[in-house]
Amino acid sequence: MKKFLLAVCVVLLAAGVSFGADVIRIGVVATVTGQNAFGGQLELEGMQLANKIYPEALGKKIELVVVDNKSDKVESATAASRLIENDKVAALIGPYGSGPTMAAGEVAEVAGIPLMGTACTNPLVTEGKKYIFRACFIDPFQGEAAANYAYKNLGYKKAAVLTDVASDYAVGLASFFKANFAKLGGAIVADLKYQSGDTDFTSQLTEIIGKEPDVLFIPAYFAEGAIIMKQGFELGAKFRFMGGDAMDNPEIVTLGGEAVEGFLHTTFAYDPTMPEMNAEAKAFTEAWKQEYPGKESNANAAMGYDSYVLLYQAILSAGKAEPQAIRDALENMKNVATVTGLTSFSAESHDPVKDAGIVEIKDGKKSYIYTINP
Amino acid sequence: MNGTGTRARSGLLNLLPLAALVCFLWWAPANLDGYKLRVINLIAINAILGLSLNLIYGMAGMFSLGHAGFMAIGAYVSALLILTPEQKVTMWILEPIAPWLLNLHTPFIVSLVLAGLAAAFVGWLIALPVLRLGGDYLGIATLGFAEIIRILIVNLTPLTNGSLGLKGIPAHTDLWMSYGCFLVILVFVARLMGGNFGNVLRAVRDDEVAARTMGIDTFRVRTLAFTLGCFGAGIGGALMGNLITTIDPKMFMITQTYNLLMIVVVGGLGSITGSVIGSVLVTTMLEWLRFVENPITLGSLHIPGIPGMRMVLFSVLLIAIIIFRREGIMGTREFSWNWFFPPKNAPRALPDEGGRGR
Repeated sequence: MKKFLLAVCVVLLAAGVSFGADVIRIGVVATVTGQNAFGGQLELEGMQLANKIYPEALGKKIELVVVDNKSDKVESATAASRLIENDKVAALIGPYGSGPTMAAGEVAEVAGIPLMGTACTNPLVTEGKKYIFRACFIDPFQGEAAANYAYKNLGYKKAAVLTDVASDYAVGLASFFKANFAKLGGAIVADLKYQSGDTDFTSQLTEIIGKEPDVLFIPAYFAEGAIIMKQGFELGAKFRFMGGDAMDNPEIVTLGGEAVEGFLHTTFAYDPTMPEMNAEAKAFTEAWKQEYPGKESNANAAMGYDSYVLLYQAILSAGKAEPQAIRDALENMKNVATVTGLTSFSAESHDPVKDAGIVEIKDGKKSYIYTINP
Repeated sequence: MNGTGTRARSGLLNLLPLAALVCFLWWAPANLDGYKLRVINLIAINAILGLSLNLIYGMAGMFSLGHAGFMAIGAYVSALLILTPEQKVTMWILEPIAPWLLNLHTPFIVSLVLAGLAAAFVGWLIALPVLRLGGDYLGIATLGFAEIIRILIVNLTPLTNGSLGLKGIPAHTDLWMSYGCFLVILVFVARLMGGNFGNVLRAVRDDEVAARTMGIDTFRVRTLAFTLGCFGAGIGGALMGNLITTIDPKMFMITQTYNLLMIVVVGGLGSITGSVIGSVLVTTMLEWLRFVENPITLGSLHIPGIPGMRMVLFSVLLIAIIIFRREGIMGTREFSWNWFFPPKNAPRALPDEGGRGR
């Protein structure tokens, strides 16, 4: 029995490290366990779908090497290091969220391996980095887009903000929303805080209700955001709720019921309910339906897909799958069609200028209603 | 052979693994890849953190859940002292940095020592009210203080950049640095526990009332042990920050403390050797077990990789250890050269490190 077990272990080990000669390896620091697993899983499925559609470049098979990061920063750095040194990947696709991407990015930068961030919207991620790119827009733009839409399109003059102070994403986005809303001439009537993991928001909400804002901006992750809306609904809040890209969840109506009716959030410019899709988005939506029947896609899945496509295009235009060549090709990338719009990078900025979308929950359905151009 | 002779021989024998370690550290950077070096570095840092927690929990018997908080202090103090003013200006994008902090800049070694001292100082402040508690209450109180530290870091944006965290910390943690710190702390703890203070500490842990009757100032002893443990946590946190080169408050949540607790308990509460073995085991297993998450092809059978599988296996491993060796791998015993060279005419002499006598 012991011998048999030993043999099984040896076989498993050997199988685990199978090497192929004519393969381009792209490493994925995936977030499939831990607190951000939901968004991370959709991203990964997006990448795997893209890998299925574009399986080869330069006559070589592209292989995704997936390593989980437990939604943890230290693990992200170790995972990136493992992919670079052990699996000899040509490029990396970053984990979910800005903090882990920064940790993985530091490793990639030192090793000289290009890293494509998926939905890391914190401006610091690419700041001062040569090898770090991202497929998404950054929070200053998202905050501005949300403020513009609330003030100009909806005519709201009084806004309240409820921020998760423990989340870099929420703090950044809230600050850019407040600055832009005030600049437009609106008033921030309440600016309250909570901590990730809180479950009772009634005291903050009661205070906000007393201030009578037109709109409450909650740059939250879905777990807390859904509870905030539910408790606000129960307290009889009259104002509108508005959130950011992290509130994008295909299950929002099932989970939130009537409490989420009328909820608005900014997102990356893709949603399966989009009325006018570009060619890439149409292809993505179709392919997703076939690959994962019964499962809704969302902007996270699109960002995962786009990140892969951007690296794929860079490998094609570089003509070789070497890290330095891919990096240079990425930096010179101009108007590549992706699901979430045209993507360009330059030597000055590794942050693409992209549209933002507005999603509204109307009549118990999630619908993409508006595109904001930068 | 008499006791003095045994000690002299142990001292000489200790030089052997030390020499082997120095050779390894000299050989490793050129011959191992960055991934392996990172894991080896993490082992040393985890060993430092494990040892310092063991000093508090295993050796002094104070159930503390506050280690992550003291790590955070160390990591932040060190990072803030070695970042350049230019880096600081570009990072504080929400609120400007406090002016006095902007131009504060010290060499790495100074920042490392200050990180330890800062954590020790805060530890001492917290120890004064908290160590009057015992058992589970102490655990809850230290857990609360660690959360307070983290929430302060989140909210003191002009000092810490809040939840955005810090990045671009120079990567000062190399093998020499981490293993140098590890050896210093290892030798310090071993001497401490081998000397009279170790006996006093064990006496306080095993029976506080009896110790007090013997004239030991138990509160002072416990405070000292707690403060020393916090110093180790600060050093470990600073080294961790310099290894990852970016830190944020989310790194120092309760899960970080659980990780260290796991190292200490698996190795053996109260055993220095155990903490070192625990850190090697936990750090390498978590990485080594990754192979079970890869897609596996056995002939025509293809098993897709299941992410998260390694955590399942790791938990099974932990449960097995706790079921079959409840006191951890080493229990309260220590490594001793007498294992290999039993003393001839000293029948069953008490070892230097007396255990709880389990």
